[in-house]
Amino acid sequence: MTINGNRITFKMTPFRLILIGFSLIFVGIVAYRLVNGLQMTNLTDAWPWGLWIFIDVKLGVALAAGGFTTAGIYYVLGVKKVKPVVKPAILTAWLGYCLVGFGLLMDLGRWYGWWHPIFSWGEHSVMFELYMCVLLYTIVLTCEFAPVLFKGIGLIKVSSFFTSLTAPLVIGGIALSTMHQSSLGSMYVLTLGKLNELWWTMLLPVLYYSSAVAVGPAMVTCETALAGRFFRHDWDAPAMTFLAKWSGYVMSFYALLRFSDLAVRGQLGALFALDTESLMCLLELAIGCVLPLFFFWSYKLLGREMTKAMIVRNAVLMVLGVALNRGNVVFTGMAKAAGTSYFPSAGELFLSIGLLSVGILVYLFIVENFDVFPAHDRYVNTKKEPVQPQGAGCARA
Amino acid sequence: MSKGVLVDMTKCFGCGACTVACKLWNEKKYDEVNKPTLGEQAQLVDINWTVVSKHDVTDKSGHPAWRFAKKQCLHCVDPACASSCLVGALRKTEQGPVIYHPDLCVGCRYCMVACPFNIPKYEWDKSFPKVSKCQMCFTRVAAGEQPACIAVCPNQVMTFGDRDALVQEAHKRIADNKELYVNHVFGETEVGGTAWLYLSDQPFAKLGFKTAVPQESLPAYTWQILSKLPAILLGWTAILSGIYFINKRRNSIAEGKQDSTGGPQA
Amino acid sequence: MDNKNDLPISRRFFLKGLGAAGVTGALATLSGCKDAGKPSGGEGWTPQQYNAPGSWPVQVRGRVPIDPRNPSIVRDDRKCILCGQCTEACERVQSVEGFYGLPIKNDITCVNCGQCALWCPTGAISERDDISKVLQVIGDTNLHVIVQTAPATRIAIGEEFGMPAGSIVEGKMVAALKQLGFDRVFDTNFSADLTIMEEGTELVNRIKAAGTGHAQGGHGHAPTALPQFTSCSPGWVKFCEYFYPDLLDHMSTCKSPQQMLGSVAKTYYAKKKNIDPRQIVSVAIMPCTAKKFEAARTEMNSAGVMAGTPELRDVDFVLTTRELARMIKGKGIDLAKLDPQPYDSLMGEGTGAAVIFAATGGVMEAAIRSGYYLLTGQNPPEALLNLNAVRGLQGVKEAALNVPGVGELRVAVASGLGNARQLLDQIRADKQAGRPPRYHFIEFMACPGGCISGGGQPKTSVPPSDWVRKERLQSIYTIDAKLAKKRLSHENKEVMDLYADFLGKPNGDMAHKLLHTTYTDRSAHLTAKTKA
Repeated sequence: MTINGNRITFKMTPFRLILIGFSLIFVGIVAYRLVNGLQMTNLTDAWPWGLWIFIDVKLGVALAAGGFTTAGIYYVLGVKKVKPVVKPAILTAWLGYCLVGFGLLMDLGRWYGWWHPIFSWGEHSVMFELYMCVLLYTIVLTCEFAPVLFKGIGLIKVSSFFTSLTAPLVIGGIALSTMHQSSLGSMYVLTLGKLNELWWTMLLPVLYYSSAVAVGPAMVTCETALAGRFFRHDWDAPAMTFLAKWSGYVMSFYALLRFSDLAVRGQLGALFALDTESLMCLLELAIGCVLPLFFFWSYKLLGREMTKAMIVRNAVLMVLGVALNRGNVVFTGMAKAAGTSYFPSAGELFLSIGLLSVGILVYLFIVENFDVFPAHDRYVNTKKEPVQPQGAGCARA
Repeated sequence: MSKGVLVDMTKCFGCGACTVACKLWNEKKYDEVNKPTLGEQAQLVDINWTVVSKHDVTDKSGHPAWRFAKKQCLHCVDPACASSCLVGALRKTEQGPVIYHPDLCVGCRYCMVACPFNIPKYEWDKSFPKVSKCQMCFTRVAAGEQPACIAVCPNQVMTFGDRDALVQEAHKRIADNKELYVNHVFGETEVGGTAWLYLSDQPFAKLGFKTAVPQESLPAYTWQILSKLPAILLGWTAILSGIYFINKRRNSIAEGKQDSTGGPQA
Repeated sequence: MDNKNDLPISRRFFLKGLGAAGVTGALATLSGCKDAGKPSGGEGWTPQQYNAPGSWPVQVRGRVPIDPRNPSIVRDDRKCILCGQCTEACERVQSVEGFYGLPIKNDITCVNCGQCALWCPTGAISERDDISKVLQVIGDTNLHVIVQTAPATRIAIGEEFGMPAGSIVEGKMVAALKQLGFDRVFDTNFSADLTIMEEGTELVNRIKAAGTGHAQGGHGHAPTALPQFTSCSPGWVKFCEYFYPDLLDHMSTCKSPQQMLGSVAKTYYAKKKNIDPRQIVSVAIMPCTAKKFEAARTEMNSAGVMAGTPELRDVDFVLTTRELARMIKGKGIDLAKLDPQPYDSLMGEGTGAAVIFAATGGVMEAAIRSGYYLLTGQNPPEALLNLNAVRGLQGVKEAALNVPGVGELRVAVASGLGNARQLLDQIRADKQAGRPPRYHFIEFMACPGGCISGGGQPKTSVPPSDWVRKERLQSIYTIDAKLAKKRLSHENKEVMDLYADFLGKPNGDMAHKLLHTTYTDRSAHLTAKTKA
């Protein structure tokens, strides 16, 4: 069987071997989890949500926001220069949501009933809306990436069919993403009185959505930087610079909204109280907002061009910031209400690591065999000579 | 016609008949060592749908005293758990009880996060776990009988009846005995009101009640957001479509009507 | 493009497929169905009386509260079926539950009588099990373990081995105890006779004081109030401490026979046999659950105080008749088949007067027999050896006797705390009204029928029945009338030796230190009510 006319390859490296190792452990843990239930976790009545909800539902969905943002920037706003990163972004988003789905399935106590919300609607539930939108959006992402897959296995007509659906898929995808990215925040509005005041606000949906829109491109930047390392992919400066600016502006909006919200709700005192919650919040804001925005605006005001290093650094900071923010809402902000402590069990950790490993392996396989990155940069250390890059990247404007 | 229960904690001497009745009616196991139903260590947990916790307090004459507080789901008037359930497994019934249907449940445990009183518990050690909480003996209530715990109480600590009437009764009891009762009916306004109401001669916080909860219904907050979503969805889709078509038109004019609706593979 | 790889799917076919999928999906989602299935719970049962619609009053409702630290009784919720028998016994028979106001203070009002355990059909309520502790000390070769047996156990324990109600198995019981490994087997009958000596002397002193207007006996603060109440039933004593503390000066200062034997064992016996009292472990077999509470009362350490080791208890462990039966069965011993053995000497001799302590009215009769002697110097006439007026299961009994040289001695007997309450209310009212006392001496027993139907006795009928009580009573009186060598406490030789060798005289200094006690006003722990 060939893909895109070439033999299927999967270059074995030490890194990939480690990932395969984690994936095998993962399979075992999944089997154990399905048989023995949730007692393999450290979840308790005081901590019904733990590592899996944090990584899968909160963090995973936020970091997979690169898909709808990049697609939106390219297709809806018509910014041609980001074209080279659209396909990889869709792939990451699609795999990301598949991982989210599976991870969530592992977390659900009665996972075999996962399809119930399709037939029995909890109309007043934010979680219901999240479920429907994530389900539909995963289908959308599958359809958005389908052209690459079908073309690879030679079903050109099918591939073209999906390609023809791009516009409605992208628009639908943005709309669905808006819904569920904000719902991840709205879901915590119900915890008024339990969630610490530094994080609880009626603006949670707007804050979650805007941080997702900011971090999506930042995540794409990080992935591009990493992929560039492995696949000798060129750094497409115009695309990356645009994404960096996008993130900068959107994160500025987030920061403004966040600090105003804290001020209006009288939480600035609590923010600087220097207890655990305050320190964690300051850390999150410093890393995710203050530092990257400082760099962004100082460069801008000084009229300096953003270098690759600066763009990547800002992106990493924003990703860390969003991770801290989601973690603070799930853990730090709820700790006092829980009354006890929680730390994930080994099983929880290895399931998450394994899930991620499987995802990375699939990503590597697809990138290596399918038409995701520009053609001549697909191989690393193969018989073929690496073709010299032409100028500033292969993207055609 | 929604039912409620008025619990007068001054009358309880901790016999635990209510906890036994609950275990009998709902066929729950006992674990006296790790999950006691009575005493200082009593906790609601997967097998304990009601417990009677014991508290050392000081009575009005300065004498040390024991007070016993029956704890169970408060069956809120506008329950956060029911609104949080994505599949409608938790519902507030007409008769008053907030009940759980395991057949629908997917086990997401959002209800546990949502409940301001941390009532729903989970069967963590089962392969097919369920959420676990007092069901207010729904089939008994539907048949006009009292919940099991209320029926068996030797001191008639609990009174079963229409919630609204019980609120009035509670205030009447306070007015008739001002020296005894704390002037507050717990559950009257907490989280927008609960079906189980409490009277006490001690501050409620001393008896293990979560007093620092919002005094309004929690689902109302979420609904402020959810109710706007359909409009936002439609509006946003329209705006995006509009921008898309404007840009497409601009591009096709700029590129001389070249087809640029290509997908990722173009 | 390599068209050979295209699948033969026409656009029309594909679109039809999509359409079908779409319609299915739409139907599915439109159903958004509301059928939720069965709610959890509600598959069990509750007792019949609680299952009527509405909120009708229920006559026997709920159960008694039991403090988990109660030394006498424990409850296993798994066995509780909410039948309400414990409540009926406690409230209607014993008049304890419900006779205090709510809210409670920092005490669960319980007199430890164990009637709830006797009535409980499933055994959810039972005595606190001390068998393993006793087995442990028996197994310790460094310890000298002595055991005493109450009057009421010898006519009941046989029932646990299939024998008819009231079977007299005194010798077999002693044999079983010896086989279990106790170093010495003594008889509480011995100290019952001792109690009669002390209490009879105390009664005489009170009567004389009433006549002369000031206290008699060895101490200036000797009790003088009449009527004198017996004090050998710890459930009754606690009841008085809770509900009638104003009448505690009527309570005889004598300890119960169990406690008297305990303190004598660790002083007199220890000295006589040259054993270190700290090596002696004192076990008592009682028909009573309240005796576990009594042995743990802080003031029950007279022997220890005298030896300079106040942490030494006069009685270390109390086992109920039921526990002893379980212990014997656990060792595979069939009590019914054993050959009878006698008690050990020094504290093993008992008279008929002692054995009738087990019956309601028995302490009264025994006291009258020796009291007559103490008052007149003469042994009582035959008629007084069968005082029917104070025998039988009637709740409150009274009698009036003529004692030559003294006059009329008016006595009363109450068994069951509900009956005790009647008498006590009368006495309290008399005192408040300044009326003279109606009686000189009242015997109070917590358990209806007396110790023969105590909280720790075999559950030969559940709930306890009068026919079993009558069989046991008959056996007790048979032992007194036909089997006992002596029928008068003051003729007990071992008791006489005890006084001669060690105690001096009744109510004397030594006797007061070892054989008398004080009481605690417990009224602050509840808000007493006169009606449930």
